[in-house]
Amino acid sequence: MTNYFKNDLVSELPDITKIEFKKIDKSYFKVILINFFLVIGLFLAGLIVLHQFVFPDYLNEYILYLYLLFTFLFLLIFIFEKMSFSKRKYALREKDISYKEGLIVKKLTTVPFSRIQHVETDEKPFSRLFGLSSLSVYTAGDSSDDLVIKGIKKETALQIKEFISIKINE
Amino acid sequence: MNNSFDFSSFSKQSPKGIFVIYTALIYKVLKATWLLLFIVFKDFSEISSFNVNYIYAGFVFILLFLLIRAILIYKNFQFKIKDDHFILNQGILKKTNTAIPFHRIQNINFKQNIFQQIINVYEVSIETAGTSKTEISIKALSLEKATALKEIIATNKEFNSENNIETEIKPLLNIDVKELFKVSLTENHLQNLFLFLALLIGFFQQLQQFTDSIGKTETLDGFIKENTNALTTSLFLIFILLIALIVIALITSFVRVFLVHFNLKVYLKENAYEINQGLFTKKSIVLKKGKVQHIRISTNPLKQLIGIYFVTFKQAVSGKTNSKKKEKLIRIVGCKKDQIETIKNSLFHFSDVENSLKKFPDNYYKRRIFLFTFLFLIIVYTALYLTFSRIEIFYSILLVIPIVVFLVFTKVKKRFYKTSDSMLLVGKGLLETHITYLEIFKVQNIKMKQTIFQKRSNVADIILQTASGKIKIPCIPFSDAINIYNHTLYKVENTNKEWM
Repeated sequence: MTNYFKNDLVSELPDITKIEFKKIDKSYFKVILINFFLVIGLFLAGLIVLHQFVFPDYLNEYILYLYLLFTFLFLLIFIFEKMSFSKRKYALREKDISYKEGLIVKKLTTVPFSRIQHVETDEKPFSRLFGLSSLSVYTAGDSSDDLVIKGIKKETALQIKEFISIKINE
Repeated sequence: MNNSFDFSSFSKQSPKGIFVIYTALIYKVLKATWLLLFIVFKDFSEISSFNVNYIYAGFVFILLFLLIRAILIYKNFQFKIKDDHFILNQGILKKTNTAIPFHRIQNINFKQNIFQQIINVYEVSIETAGTSKTEISIKALSLEKATALKEIIATNKEFNSENNIETEIKPLLNIDVKELFKVSLTENHLQNLFLFLALLIGFFQQLQQFTDSIGKTETLDGFIKENTNALTTSLFLIFILLIALIVIALITSFVRVFLVHFNLKVYLKENAYEINQGLFTKKSIVLKKGKVQHIRISTNPLKQLIGIYFVTFKQAVSGKTNSKKKEKLIRIVGCKKDQIETIKNSLFHFSDVENSLKKFPDNYYKRRIFLFTFLFLIIVYTALYLTFSRIEIFYSILLVIPIVVFLVFTKVKKRFYKTSDSMLLVGKGLLETHITYLEIFKVQNIKMKQTIFQKRSNVADIILQTASGKIKIPCIPFSDAINIYNHTLYKVENTNKEWM
């Protein structure tokens, strides 16, 4: 199993730019979509309620534009989600784990195994439908934004967890 | 003082502890109810003598209740040492049993508030790294017993290798009243003023909430309105207000510095610092060198003039509790240049990093700050214009712009970084100057951020997360960022040294 994660980088100074990142599981996009449509649904319901019961007539004249604006906004967010999805990547090396994401703001985080306090995997309801988990890695200190990889296959997550646990206890 | 105390069976605190717990309880009750008491006593004369008796009885009852509670707390508070564990039983109804293994103990600190000073007992707090729950304080121990306890824990682990018997080492730093006076005078008064104002606003909000519920808001509101009207009309009053603010700022600085740092003494020991300070609450902190994650040396133009600096030791924090964080920040004020050198020398080899090339962020950094400050200014001015709709406010731009530009330039100038094989040095500051020293292997994780605008200029931000907070190096050339990234990882992954 370890072979799967081995990265043949044994140069003195490992170069972060030279490692191969793996994309997260494609079906996680469906999870994002479900969440996304849930939010849209709520907003849309709110808008319809406003349209039918709250807005006075002079405002309802412009209601079509409001709906259009609404659609346009969500289309924009959808495209953004779609494009940034392919930027979510992770990589494991001999001694550390990295994750990168972001379309407009690119973020790259690396946590060395020797600094990891504990590893967690968890499955949210929608993720579970597709057999996905998220993997969180905690380090000491203000652990608010340590590394979290969402949307990897459950087996993979458990394997990585196992792998890191072994590495920590070495 | 070889241990004449037996810790193997359960022992209680010094009986004086009842008094300490009692005062602490009374203080807690007073803090929660002072407004109510204030209201009651304000109209004291209007209360009939019959009711007064009830009130007295009530007070006596509360005081008695607290006394009984204090005694019970005291009775149920027992501790012992067994198999390299510190074991504590406490709780009146809900019994808690805590066991801390020695190797988890980070610090043992002595503290004395004013009551504890009067009856000559020490509060001993045992600090552990990890979950915040496991912080224990024993409210009252005699000095002998406290030191004995500390020694037992210390000898069982490498805590303080030298024995604590008064070896009379010369303190590294001893700040007397005159020095402290200088320190206070050169404090960041602006910051202190804001702190004081924040405190005042909090106080008024508490008062207002209370009066709201009682229905006296109108008088208070009227009072404020009257005053603000007077303010806008009279320049004289503004002048007075300014002077008052300056005086308040000065006083706050003095009070703050004297309260916390009175009689500051720092002893340098083999693998720890011992720091004693405080006016009413005397604190004695043993700070292990290994626990220090990074240090910051700061000064401001005034302090620089008389050649003093302050050092902030950043220790590892445990978890999300924000209030805890402040406690783990240990500040030493009024250091001279050579004392700074000694402190730095005792912690790490810094000469390499100080002699290496001083690197500055890319020009993009300056552009970004300018952009954001001007955006902010535009928003502020539009808001001001919309609320007052007077063209005169734009005259102030003549004054504001040069100041802002000057400030941005100083901020940019003070941003720099230096790297060596094992250390990182980051400088920053606006009015003050802060220089952070970090041993690279103490980094917990590393992050690189790049916006699409930064990508066009080929720069990136580096954020180093340590156990004691983040260190940011903004907008450095991309190749440098990658170098730092790789080097840091290499250093962290190839060290056997414990970060804590």
